[in-house]
Amino acid sequence: MSGIVQDKKYRDRQKRKDFFITVFIAIFAFVWMVPLLWTFWTSLRPYSDVIQNGVFSKPSTLNFQNYITAYDRMDIWEYLTNSFIVAIPTVILTLFFGSLMAFVVTRYSFKFNLYLLLLFTAGNLLPVQLVYAPLFKMYIWIGDLVGNRNLLYDSFTGLILVHVALQMGFATFVMSSYMKTIPKEISESALLDGASVFRHYWNVILPLLRPPLAALSVLMTTWIYNEFFWAIVLIKSDNKRPITSALGRLQGEFVTDFNLLAAGAIMAALPTLLIFFILKRQFVSGLTLGSTKG
Amino acid sequence: MSNEVTENGVSRRTVLKGAALGGLGLVGGGTLLSSCGDDKATGPVTFTARTNDETGLKIAQALADAYKAETGIDVTMQGSGDTNAFQDGISQYLQGTPDDVFQWMAGFRTNFRADQGLLADLSENIKNLGDQMPEGFISGATNPSDGKQYIIPTTWYPWGLHYRKSTMKELGLDPENIATWDDFMKLLEGTQKKGLIGYAMGDKGGWEAMGTFSILNVRINGYDYHIDLLNGRKKWTDQATIDVFNQFALLIPYMNKNFLDISWDGMRDLLLAKKCGAMMMGSWWANDFKAKSQEDYDDLWIVPFPEINPAYGRDSIDAPVDGVSVAANGANVEGGKQFAEWIGSEAGMLAAQAAGDTSLYANSRLDTSEYDAFNKQKLAVIGEAKNVMNFLDRDCRNDFAGTIVGPAIQNFLKAPKDVNKIVDGMQEAWDALPPLE
Amino acid sequence: MTTTAASKKTRRRRAFSRGDRFTLAMFLGVPTFLHVVWVWIPAIATIGLSFTYWNGVSLSNIRWAGLANYDTIFTASPQFYDALRNNTYWLLWFTLIATPLGVLLAYQIDRKIRGSKIYESVYYIPVVLSLAVIGIIWKFMLGPGGLVQALLGYPEIERAIPIFSNYDINTYVILGIASWRHIGYIMLLYLAGLKSVDPSLREAAAIDGATEWQTFRKVVFPAMKPVNTIIIVITVIESLRAFDLIYIIYGTSTGWPILGMLVFVNIYGQAASMLGAAYAVILFLLSIIPIVFYLRTVFRDDVA
Repeated sequence: MSGIVQDKKYRDRQKRKDFFITVFIAIFAFVWMVPLLWTFWTSLRPYSDVIQNGVFSKPSTLNFQNYITAYDRMDIWEYLTNSFIVAIPTVILTLFFGSLMAFVVTRYSFKFNLYLLLLFTAGNLLPVQLVYAPLFKMYIWIGDLVGNRNLLYDSFTGLILVHVALQMGFATFVMSSYMKTIPKEISESALLDGASVFRHYWNVILPLLRPPLAALSVLMTTWIYNEFFWAIVLIKSDNKRPITSALGRLQGEFVTDFNLLAAGAIMAALPTLLIFFILKRQFVSGLTLGSTKG
Repeated sequence: MSNEVTENGVSRRTVLKGAALGGLGLVGGGTLLSSCGDDKATGPVTFTARTNDETGLKIAQALADAYKAETGIDVTMQGSGDTNAFQDGISQYLQGTPDDVFQWMAGFRTNFRADQGLLADLSENIKNLGDQMPEGFISGATNPSDGKQYIIPTTWYPWGLHYRKSTMKELGLDPENIATWDDFMKLLEGTQKKGLIGYAMGDKGGWEAMGTFSILNVRINGYDYHIDLLNGRKKWTDQATIDVFNQFALLIPYMNKNFLDISWDGMRDLLLAKKCGAMMMGSWWANDFKAKSQEDYDDLWIVPFPEINPAYGRDSIDAPVDGVSVAANGANVEGGKQFAEWIGSEAGMLAAQAAGDTSLYANSRLDTSEYDAFNKQKLAVIGEAKNVMNFLDRDCRNDFAGTIVGPAIQNFLKAPKDVNKIVDGMQEAWDALPPLE
Repeated sequence: MTTTAASKKTRRRRAFSRGDRFTLAMFLGVPTFLHVVWVWIPAIATIGLSFTYWNGVSLSNIRWAGLANYDTIFTASPQFYDALRNNTYWLLWFTLIATPLGVLLAYQIDRKIRGSKIYESVYYIPVVLSLAVIGIIWKFMLGPGGLVQALLGYPEIERAIPIFSNYDINTYVILGIASWRHIGYIMLLYLAGLKSVDPSLREAAAIDGATEWQTFRKVVFPAMKPVNTIIIVITVIESLRAFDLIYIIYGTSTGWPILGMLVFVNIYGQAASMLGAAYAVILFLLSIIPIVFYLRTVFRDDVA
């Protein structure tokens, strides 16, 4: 009897609470969106309009002219292309190498497995500034050895390789955690069938890795796309800059035309926003694979 | 001891002054084509303009086009992107795959990189320019450690108080006749009372306010003290240095409040928009006024910073020399040298001028008698000074000017009361510098 | 036991044909080579260089400096303490305010309130943006002519009040902007974790008269141990690694010095010196603490 009463009381209380919390979270969410909405609003107005009539004035025109101008004058398309020229191979290589490492350290019991895993995971967490100066020298030196200084320095290859080297730790860690949940018996039977190591990886394990691969590829694409530091220090030529680092320059160049810059910023943000909305499930599970199954 | 930089201002300050005064009356000779030997110049050349600003890029492109028209050699011009970022990364840039020719600045910034083997020796090309290149500029471009030149001087400009004639007229003020510090304070007060910014400041870049510090130092303590201070022979903790900071503090109330949010271009825009009275700055951006409208350009004026200590009067000025250097690691060093020489020659300077460059040119063939009023005033401002300096961050070690002096002045502007703490920190930092290699 | 192990071993050894051995060597070798040569060797080289005087150009100019760079940083670089203070503020703010807020948000959204999916996305949007874009967006909000300026009554650009360079408030401004991103990140991580906690546990605890806080502390929190670990690590590492946002807002000026920027300015800037390497090592030593903590927690089972 009393249990039911208490239960009803509890539910009533919960309902009231839910209502207040919902209202609060909704307001908070609106505030959360204001900066982005404001930037979008700014990007739709011509600069002259704001200058003449003030920030809060009723806009005389609202259109996508700034986007067209930004596209023409800021080389946005070129920078976006560069971003993907860097991000896509980086993600593929990172996941490939990460899956190899994860495969070996979880399916074979070598003594050094744990140390390798430790090394990779720790390497992923190092501050990038610690790596920069000697790496720069190394890039120039390797370039001179083969007679092409732009082999790694000021090249997509160099940028991709440093991203892969740093991100591999995370991919290895996540995939090895995942692989621990795959029953050993699957591997045992493969071994009994006399499958080679390569077939064991390619035909047996890799297909099972689809969920973490999908999740990680979505997550890492946005990470690499958003990356900033390596592009500013390793890329000299403006026409090889990924969009994120190019924004820094555009910011200086178009500092007086907020509205144009706003359009540029929105265009730069669009790819990751799209990825997020289309592939949200993969995105979220990519983040949590490492934590919840660890 | 080993911390000292051998300054090269000594010969320069006297000779350059001659160039400035003599230049006023100098009539350009006939248009001789540059003396560069076409036999050596081969292959396309790449060229980086040290700017991302439309006017500057237009002028740089005009140089490239004119060179192509004259020699048939292709020049690919590109902007450096953000100027501060380019200057920050210059050592890495030069170690990598730099463009053959790039716009750069004379003084320590050049000499230091030359000593590291990153710049090509341009002594031959300076020689080729012959009497086109006045002695003062050659000695200013000479690296004291080996007596060679690694930059071809192209333009120079004075640091002084810039203002708009129309604004001052409206306010009923006369900056031409500010003789003393008191007059100057009255001017700032007058401007501020009318709702304008008295003394525009934008020190986000960390170097802009160095101009004010330097001029106050030479006005209060004289040229020799200033150069000694920058080279470690005087101390930041000396009372004489602290006096300079205290004088600087008197200007802070007249500045715009967001001086650490804006850079030099923000200041320029304040002046363009008639939002400020006076602005202490070098005049290199006058091109931007001209690009906006001839009217704006005609309205622009410059006067020397007022006297403070009668012992020194107005005898010193910052008048940095800009030019072009050639990267030792460039793909076409010989071609780069030829192009750099051509830029410094009369033909190059005329091409720049035709594209809207309003600078004072180093080249002696350029007809200074046809300079416009503003340029004549610039020459007069330099001409009245006995000592010419390069600017603080070109007269001083890079690992002190950029990383220590810049932030220290920013911190001072934030909290002028902390001056003692700030100069202590600066002196400690100087004392801790490694010997120059 | 022993026999199985032994037989397993023999079986495996037999299974490793020459081709297999080559495959395994490549599988491990290529990634390890890349990782070690690209990350660890440069990192160790930087540690070595921090004990030298060098301007980063010619290798023959490297000179032994002993602890001089560190001495300079600790005794003659007021900026170092400013940066350390700012990084500490960042860490404290994230630990005490932003991270708990993210957890709270996750906890409330997990009640399956109406529209929770939408809120989840809204809070998460800043996380997918790059810090460069975030910096620019907030300049539109707070800079001259920005929304906040206008709301405060300074809509004209030349009358704009300083916000980023107002030293009474800029710490909060920067940390607020950083939180805009961090809170969503933490929320999503925690939310994912919470989904694996049986909701009936929470309900049962509440019916038993436990307060919300007691339920969280006694029931939810312990069940979330792996997520808690990763959240702590992310909070600490992000606080130490902060760079992008500051670079976009302040450039390399000292508007709001942090360790990451001091490394950059000193090692990359025109004044290249190994002071920067020493700063990097200090940053590294500070990061080691959370890294070791993390590795220990995560790999404890494997070691045992």
